[in-house]
Amino acid sequence: METIALTASYLFDWHILLAALAGVTWGIMGGALPGISPSITMALLLPFTYTMDPTGAIVLLASTYIGAEYGGSVPAILIRTPGTNAAAATVIDGYEMNKQGKAGLALGISLISGFYGSMFGLAMLMALSGPLALVALNFTPMAYFALGILGLSVIATLSGENLIKGFIAAILGLMIATIGSDPVTGGTRFTFGSSELLGGIEPVMIMVGLFAMSELLIQASKRGADERVTSRPRIQFPDWKLTKRLFPAQMIGNGIGTFEGVMPGAGGTIASFMAYNEARRWSKHPEEFGKGSPEGIAAPETANNTVAETALVPLLSFGIPGSNSTAILLGGFLIHGIVPGPMLFERSGEVVYGLYAGLFAAIIGMVIMGFLMLPVCIWLVNRPRPYLNAFILALILSGIYSIHNETFDLGIMLAAGVLGFFMRMLRFPFLPTVLGLVLGYLVESNFRRSLVLSGDDFMIFIDDRISLSLLLLAFLFIAGSIGKHVYDAFFRKPKTVSES
Amino acid sequence: MTRLPLYAAASAAFILSGAAVQAQEYPVDTVTLITHSSPGGGSDVFLRELSRYLAPYLGANVIVENVSGGSGASAMARLAQAPADGSIFYATTPTFIYTSLLSDPEYKYTDLEPLVNFFIDPEVIYTAADSEFETLEDVIQYARDGRGQWGAANPASLERQALEQLKAAADVNAAVVTHEGGGDLMINVLNGTLQIGVGEVQEIQSQLEAGELRLLATFSEERLDAFPDLPTVAESGYDVVVRKFRGLAGPKGLPEDVITAWEAATQAVLEDEEYKAAYEAGNLRAEFIPHDEYNAFIEQFGTETSTFLKETGVIE
Amino acid sequence: MLTRDFVGGVATIVIGAVYLYFAYQLRVSALDDSMGPGGLPRIYGWLLVGLGSILVIQALVARSLAAPAGAEPVKGEWDGQGRKIAYAAGLLVIAMGYIFIVETVGYLVSVGLLIVTTALYLGAGFSGRLLAIGIGGAVFLYAMFVSLLGVRMPAGMLAPLGL
Repeated sequence: METIALTASYLFDWHILLAALAGVTWGIMGGALPGISPSITMALLLPFTYTMDPTGAIVLLASTYIGAEYGGSVPAILIRTPGTNAAAATVIDGYEMNKQGKAGLALGISLISGFYGSMFGLAMLMALSGPLALVALNFTPMAYFALGILGLSVIATLSGENLIKGFIAAILGLMIATIGSDPVTGGTRFTFGSSELLGGIEPVMIMVGLFAMSELLIQASKRGADERVTSRPRIQFPDWKLTKRLFPAQMIGNGIGTFEGVMPGAGGTIASFMAYNEARRWSKHPEEFGKGSPEGIAAPETANNTVAETALVPLLSFGIPGSNSTAILLGGFLIHGIVPGPMLFERSGEVVYGLYAGLFAAIIGMVIMGFLMLPVCIWLVNRPRPYLNAFILALILSGIYSIHNETFDLGIMLAAGVLGFFMRMLRFPFLPTVLGLVLGYLVESNFRRSLVLSGDDFMIFIDDRISLSLLLLAFLFIAGSIGKHVYDAFFRKPKTVSES
Repeated sequence: MTRLPLYAAASAAFILSGAAVQAQEYPVDTVTLITHSSPGGGSDVFLRELSRYLAPYLGANVIVENVSGGSGASAMARLAQAPADGSIFYATTPTFIYTSLLSDPEYKYTDLEPLVNFFIDPEVIYTAADSEFETLEDVIQYARDGRGQWGAANPASLERQALEQLKAAADVNAAVVTHEGGGDLMINVLNGTLQIGVGEVQEIQSQLEAGELRLLATFSEERLDAFPDLPTVAESGYDVVVRKFRGLAGPKGLPEDVITAWEAATQAVLEDEEYKAAYEAGNLRAEFIPHDEYNAFIEQFGTETSTFLKETGVIE
Repeated sequence: MLTRDFVGGVATIVIGAVYLYFAYQLRVSALDDSMGPGGLPRIYGWLLVGLGSILVIQALVARSLAAPAGAEPVKGEWDGQGRKIAYAAGLLVIAMGYIFIVETVGYLVSVGLLIVTTALYLGAGFSGRLLAIGIGGAVFLYAMFVSLLGVRMPAGMLAPLGL
């Protein structure tokens, strides 16, 4: 109660409101540009925060962060390009709805889900920071490994018809994740002497290649056939019936997002894929997933926006940034001589309450800005195909270049595009590749770290209670999916090869 | 992983410094300081803070750029190919020596010229406040009795080397677990997975003040001013001393006037009252090392590290 | 007759084998854990080879099951694929052309050329509108990335003009 009263007292500070609105607008824009990650969007503002007052500076950066996490869904729906890593899961059903001429509704669902997610996350941050921090504190390397395996268990759902092809696709992703420096010794792997590869390959380059570039190549290969349905340039919020249908999916997103957000290093991408998977498992219309299900947008979007708020828990409670974006926020604190951690509330309570108020204002601002900006975006993607695709190609080549200022990265993105093109031609699902890519490092580093801790005793994964329960859960999911596939293969009418 | 020109940082720093008297004529208008740390990271924040105060003393615009590819490999490549006119420098920490030796990149620390040193950060050993360990000896004894679990922040780093050397000096068998940065490490010390962690005081400051962590020893040569009761590792009977430097390096063949300008500006900025208050609050220890000595210092550091890595079989 | 699954399986085995070849060359050191840098990569490599083989077998079995039953053979599966690949390759060449020229010609001009060439290739007729979109698109992207976000795009020969 006291928290709410203190927070409310900052809500009328025009300084904070202005910073929140400016931040969220800038964030949506940065997030919507492929290649410009939330952390880059924030880093660009960092220098301006030197001269601001501490609260305003923190609010500006934090609002940019939540704006950017939301903004990533816009190109995911409209041009099949995830603007941020976490928006990858939104592409699946978002782009399908767009193709059916329902872009306005898809964007409306993602905006309203982003709003729910952020508000729920903010409430969790304000009310349950303490207990949530305790959960994060008890996550050992073993538990992180188990969390990664749980994430990988989603592969079975993303594989489509052929589980073998899904596993192959996932391992391709895991392999790409091994490029760079070794997580235990620091030595180099698979870099072939190239200094560009020393730091590993940014997942977004592969994602943009697999999703967007492969789509451009496929459309080029079809020459002229334009079978899309144009959408009306108007944002459409879900009606009451749809709202009721979306609610369970959003609850799932809230729950998973809260949990994943507080783990440093887990992140929004895993949360959104897991939320997508669970929403599909519990949905009354699981068959619609992958073909333009509104729940398929609501679940991941709620999850990654919840993560954007609860990711602040470890930062404020321990001073530990869980991602590149929160690392920049930490920088913003440090520049103003504020050290986040256990003493933060005592020493700089006013900054924290100001931050809460700013986040609240930013979430409201996000809906307003989205409502104003999105119709223009829909209008833009309704232009004739050749022009639109030419512009998308120019956009992704510009965006990927801006990550490291290297043309080398453009080559990687194109290679991923070609890989995606052939995977689609040979009917391989490529979502498992994205998942393997995102989880590869987390799984490998924590697996090996745990074995170093135990002196190569595998019992350590069972002795750790969190690890044991997560592994059991993952085992149930995988066994269930394999069981279903086997059942389908033996007891249902076999499908002919030419259909597969 | 990002590389960003932050021109705005420069203009902000320049406006702030506008009132100050320009000390001398520096050969170029704008100096770019490169860090391999990503925006908001430890070295990045340090450098941005420094750039604000440095500009007036140097008489040039100072901007910070993040070139974070390959733990410094990209930054070294960039520097080695840049003109040696005083317009570009690399903010170095021991990482650049480790990366040179471990990854064997095309351009190494030996392709750069050390300029001056600014700080030596104290590295300390810490444990959770609710743990049973009161002294370093308790930890060593625990490792002697069974199997110790010690943590370092990054895979191939000065902290890891320090722990491996401590292990050797104490002749115990402890697992040295590496992490993805100091925060990750701290969580595992706090939740009791590890008995001790090694890090810079500034990283754990907040937890220290809150009484969540306890210091056991420092790897510095002498006791720290801020913690006069904290023994050094050497005092505890294990001859391991660690010097984590923070300085600058430039392309080979830096002109004499640039070096003189930097030596003067560095000493002046370290004496600046306002900056001093800022860096002392962050537990940084100023240690100016002039150009000639710094060259020898880096060379010696490189040789010692290379010997260690060869003895442990990491490199040939 | 080659089915998609057969081709996919063979490609998987090849990728796995190449990856394994490099995975076995990774260095070991005293600071390594027992898995070492090569531990998991080797597992990944062998898994890929194994799964690829299963896919190949699956494809062969499926074909032999389908053939005697008199079912429609997989004829026609590859019809027109060659032309499709060629069309896609054309777009790839344009993108590679952009990478090739951007550092010498400069961002503003290259990105304008990229938009115009791609649109022409994808079937837009040559018109004033096309040129306007090329120029407008290039200026818009330049304003977004260079002016607003401060990305240092290659200036190339436009460097003297400050672009």
